[in-house]
Amino acid sequence: MSSILIEMSGINKEFPGVKAVQDGMFTLEEGEIHSLVGENGAGKSTLMKILYGMYSPESGTITVRGESFPSLTPKRAIGMGIGMVHQEFMLVREMTVLENIILGFEPRRGAMIDRRAALDKIDYYARTYGLSVHPDKKVGEISVGEAQRVEIIKTMYRGAEILVLDEPTAVLTPQESEQLFEILRSMKKDGKSIVFISHKLREVLEISDRVTVMRGGRHIATLDGSSATAPELARLMVGREVFLGGTPVPSEPGEVALSVEGVYVPGEKELSKLRGVSFSVRRGEILGIAGVNGNGQSELAEAIAGLRPVQRGRVVLGGVEVQNMPPRKIREHGLSHIPEDRNLRGLDRQSDVKENLAACSFSEPPLSRGGVVNWGRVREFADDLIRSYDIRPAGVDVPAAGLSGGNAQKVVVAREVSGRAPVLLASQPTRGVDIGSIETIRAELNRAKKEGAAVVLISSDLEEILSLSDRIAVMFEGRITGEVSSSEADELSLGLLMTGGRR
Amino acid sequence: MTRTSWGATLLTILLSLAIGAAAIMLLGYDPVEAYYQLFRGAFVGKFNIGGVFERFVPLMLTALAFAVSAKVSVFNVGVEGELYLGAMAAAWAGYALTGLHPVVHVPVCFALAMVVAGAWGAIPGALKAYWRVNEVCVTILMNYVAIFFTSYLVGNPFSARTSIPRTPSIEESAKLLRFLKPSRVNIGLFVAIGVLLLVWWVLYHTTWGFRLRHTGQNPDFSEYVGIPPKKVMVWGMILSGAIGGLAGAIEVMGIHGHFLDNFSPGIAFDGMLASLIAKNDIRMVPVLALFLAVLKTGALGMERFTGVPKTLIDTIIAVFILLAAMEALFSWKRRGAASAGEGA
Ligand SMILES: Nc1ncnc2c1ncn2[C@@H]1O[C@H](COP(=O)(O)OP(=O)(O)O)[C@@H](O)[C@H]1O
Ligand SMILES: [Mg+2]
Repeated sequence: MSSILIEMSGINKEFPGVKAVQDGMFTLEEGEIHSLVGENGAGKSTLMKILYGMYSPESGTITVRGESFPSLTPKRAIGMGIGMVHQEFMLVREMTVLENIILGFEPRRGAMIDRRAALDKIDYYARTYGLSVHPDKKVGEISVGEAQRVEIIKTMYRGAEILVLDEPTAVLTPQESEQLFEILRSMKKDGKSIVFISHKLREVLEISDRVTVMRGGRHIATLDGSSATAPELARLMVGREVFLGGTPVPSEPGEVALSVEGVYVPGEKELSKLRGVSFSVRRGEILGIAGVNGNGQSELAEAIAGLRPVQRGRVVLGGVEVQNMPPRKIREHGLSHIPEDRNLRGLDRQSDVKENLAACSFSEPPLSRGGVVNWGRVREFADDLIRSYDIRPAGVDVPAAGLSGGNAQKVVVAREVSGRAPVLLASQPTRGVDIGSIETIRAELNRAKKEGAAVVLISSDLEEILSLSDRIAVMFEGRITGEVSSSEADELSLGLLMTGGRR
Repeated sequence: MTRTSWGATLLTILLSLAIGAAAIMLLGYDPVEAYYQLFRGAFVGKFNIGGVFERFVPLMLTALAFAVSAKVSVFNVGVEGELYLGAMAAAWAGYALTGLHPVVHVPVCFALAMVVAGAWGAIPGALKAYWRVNEVCVTILMNYVAIFFTSYLVGNPFSARTSIPRTPSIEESAKLLRFLKPSRVNIGLFVAIGVLLLVWWVLYHTTWGFRLRHTGQNPDFSEYVGIPPKKVMVWGMILSGAIGGLAGAIEVMGIHGHFLDNFSPGIAFDGMLASLIAKNDIRMVPVLALFLAVLKTGALGMERFTGVPKTLIDTIIAVFILLAAMEALFSWKRRGAASAGEGA
């Protein structure tokens, strides 16, 4: 019987207007990998930040190795061997890997930093756990996977025996995730205890000894990793039966509705420049575009939608060349677009739900006539969409800034899908969205396809790509590195293409 | 605007008056008497009431001009320049065009003032929209250009050759009908109110206004849904300029009867303050413009009858702005906290 390292019970934490954690509890046994799962906003990060001393709870006790505290401070948590790798990395981009690792805990010899000692330690982690990093590279130059390893080394360097990883795989490719799991397994073997936060159920089932489910800030259940199943976990997370996964609905593609021919687009970064991207999509099919974020997907979507200039090449929409046309013209030629960032482009957060829903159709009858808006019609229009897309709270005057991520995204989807445009460009349509909304949004994409729309689905979520797409193209460093039909695709082969490998 | 923010504004008004009262007491005067005289100086007698409206009209229009530009996220410090150019354009059309019927002459003067000032407003708008030039710098500098240019005009080509630098008097047919004599309040008041209602209606009930508001609130969103944000920003500034120009025209055609060099003691800056306190909410703009007009008009009476210096009123206005700004800060913080939660 292994001993209990951490016991949190009766934890309550409130933020203005949100009970982030209510009567929260969590236990961690020595040498286990314990997954913490739950939808976005379930309170996972908050609960763990309480453990790490970043927030103090209003009530509850935290017991670490038999010693109880009402709350901790990061210093004390680190002192007791707790380390946390946050959802957002906390590294200094301008400093080297080595400097980041030792920052604040520099080994000294006299007044000098003992570089040798630090390098030896880093080397030790690399050999023992497979945590390989380049100590002298600047953090700004290394991959996300490596940055994460740096974060892990940093916690161990500070003496962590208990490691909390907040959604570590959200930013990784399948191969990188697999690599991470190897690291976690070897750390476990070495006696470390790990809290693994995720909402990717397959991973959770693969790696966990135990799984704790949170919903709405509450502890719902703690299950044994070996006996838990994905549907059961999904049901506990959402609070009802859900159906996600599955395989693409069969389709009979019609004529080509959108083709992109040899497109070059300047990018945010060197890697994300488009260098001669070509593909086409037919009516009645979903073309999935997979890839690790930052390989040109954002640039591709913006170029198609007229939000970014095309240097060379053609974008043909419904038989018309539309590259470099203003977005309004491109929409008139039949494009609707779910942008990747709902807060930046997808919504006017200072406005209300009805204006956001009407933003693409307000200038035409029946919503307006002769330039005069008919607010009665706008309200009816918005009300219909709110009902059919189950947007909550169901009010046309609700400010957009007050919506949860899932409902905000449903507003965007409702506006774009309801126009029944022949081409639907969906960029990361379910990113940061709760499972219930994911279900609705994916069903809408399938419905659009069934009704004959040509759908381009850009997503870094492979499961999403695999369960919706008829064909899958993979982007890597601004190029399409391969295209496969959904029947022959699997995560492994796609993952290989996503990292630049050829099949 | 929600009920609570109306309440907050009322509270701010009361609080600043209370702080003003404390200041009056510190100066050794009786605040009750001072406020009583202030009230009388603003509301008792045709001359005083008329005086309030005289001040109200340019304050409200310049505040509106500022609010409209704020709607397209331009911080337009240039309303004063628009006011001057509009005034000059109206004065010229008022004296140079003769033999017109008032029904034609008045609108012609208004139109010319609005076109000139609108075009003037388009310049910083276009610079910001297309070349990202900071509008605050541009509009501050353009104010000097406008004021010195009108100075040149009244001194030379448009001079009335009188001892003071001004244009010839405008034709009777260009003058705005006065009422509440002996005050100089005129039908410009109704024009201003009409313009306010019209602008409100355009912003909230037309597709043009829809585009304009969304462009100001989130230009990336606008662009994405197919609204051309750059064009809309320039049009917003043209509208703002036209309103500022109209304010100048009413000053010339209703109050002075000619363009007088340096006629405005920073009217548009007071208007800007009114709009800022109103958080650029068109419905609050007339309320705050009226409040400022009352304070400024009543201050004369207060000084005359109690000896409390009328500059004290400027102190109260300053306190008021401070409180309003703090309130804005407070609500902004709350909004920031709410939006921070979503990314989790
Ligand atoms: N710093 C914060 N300020 C205000 N609200 C917060 C803050 N952090 C989290 N929340 C809110 O608390 C709830 C739980 O958030 P979080 O713990 O991040 O969930 P999870 O990690 O499970 O997605 C959410 O409703 C979130 O909006
Ligand atoms: Mg989280």
